[in-house]
Amino acid sequence: MTTKLNYHPDNAMLVDFSAGTLDTAPSICVSAHLHFCEACRTELLSLNEIGAQLMAKATAVAIDDAALDSALDAVMAAIDQPQPVKPAVKDQPASSGFPFSIGKLIANAESTLTWKRLTSSVDIAQFKTGQKVFEVALHKICAGGKTPKHDHNGVEYTVVLKGSFSDERAVYKEGDFLMRQPGDVHQPMGAQNGECICLSALAAPIKLSNPLGFLMKPWLRINPM
Amino acid sequence: MFLKKEEIVDKQTEKNSRVAVLNLAGKRSDQWSLMLVSVGENRDRQAFAQLFKHFAPLLKSFAQASRHEGWFPGLSEDLVQEVMIKVWQKAAGYNPEKASATTWIYTVARNCRIDMLRRKSNTQHLPLENEDFWHEPDEETPVTLLRQKRSEEKVQASLAQLPKEQDEILRKVYLEGKSHAEASNELGLPLGTVKSRVRLALQKMQILVAPEFQDELLNDH
Repeated sequence: MTTKLNYHPDNAMLVDFSAGTLDTAPSICVSAHLHFCEACRTELLSLNEIGAQLMAKATAVAIDDAALDSALDAVMAAIDQPQPVKPAVKDQPASSGFPFSIGKLIANAESTLTWKRLTSSVDIAQFKTGQKVFEVALHKICAGGKTPKHDHNGVEYTVVLKGSFSDERAVYKEGDFLMRQPGDVHQPMGAQNGECICLSALAAPIKLSNPLGFLMKPWLRINPM
Repeated sequence: MFLKKEEIVDKQTEKNSRVAVLNLAGKRSDQWSLMLVSVGENRDRQAFAQLFKHFAPLLKSFAQASRHEGWFPGLSEDLVQEVMIKVWQKAAGYNPEKASATTWIYTVARNCRIDMLRRKSNTQHLPLENEDFWHEPDEETPVTLLRQKRSEEKVQASLAQLPKEQDEILRKVYLEGKSHAEASNELGLPLGTVKSRVRLALQKMQILVAPEFQDELLNDH
């Protein structure tokens, strides 16, 4: 699983991720990439160190002894309370080998995660993520399947979770992380040797560059949830 | 059978050098990390109380540094409490090979702060907590303490010497909780400038290494 990957989130994204300042949807995508990428996991250990040092070297707020003791008592009392047992994330056969966060989203969806046919070769299943900026979804491209050529109105992040796909520029393998900006026209194609599943977070509707694109209307719908 | 004198000396040196290697690579020895291990292994309340007294003021200042939308000073005490409860609950999972207690507690605090904000600004059920994004795959990142410590030392040493303009942005991002984009708005600087200042800082701390060269550099000692 830890093969060397070619496409990573840029450093600014990793810094924002390590500081907790990255939005939920791109954070889901970064976490999916980390599942496959040892190099980025290692880099994040060092980036966390920056936050820790800044926290540790900052001027500590003076808390007087009495206040500190009573705060400690409150915490001690809380830890003696029996903890509610969180239900374990069910192991879904559908998500085996998938990143933890994606497994949890699939488990959360239970019966509501539904695959919808988008085109003859692409199915989509949308996730509820509790934010309204990005549409987060799985895309499944069948072996050798062609997707419509499209542009983006907003930024799109994609992480390959299973199989591989290619576009005019390159072949993308499991774990590869891609960012597409408005103006990046591309036409992804599923690999011949098996279906490809990608995670994507899309900020705004993508527009088709094909004049007959209106026939592909489902592409235009975006539904952050 | 008797060993000749030189052989005994050899054995002794070999043993000593092995002991030295173990000390270097064996355990983290700062007091906070030892205490945190003890909290995890022995549910050590005394060690926990000491950790609390050291970290609560740091956590409070971390909480007060927040300039997130929707954050207000009253949340600081809640954050300190929530973080320290999590520290108690999760201490068994603390791995001193990977991080010092300070770094580990920082990551708990960062996750709690984000989750508090997300819960506040959201009425819907949120399926993911911030720590879910940090879940390690079954096949863990191999880290050697030695390498990890070297990287921590580099970060510490270079962080103290960063030019003001780079330091300022890192503080905005890590302490105030501003993204690169928000920092660029606030400082009236192009996003590219903000990114390149951060990049320069990462280079000084030797964090920024192209993945393909990482292995070579790490073996280069």
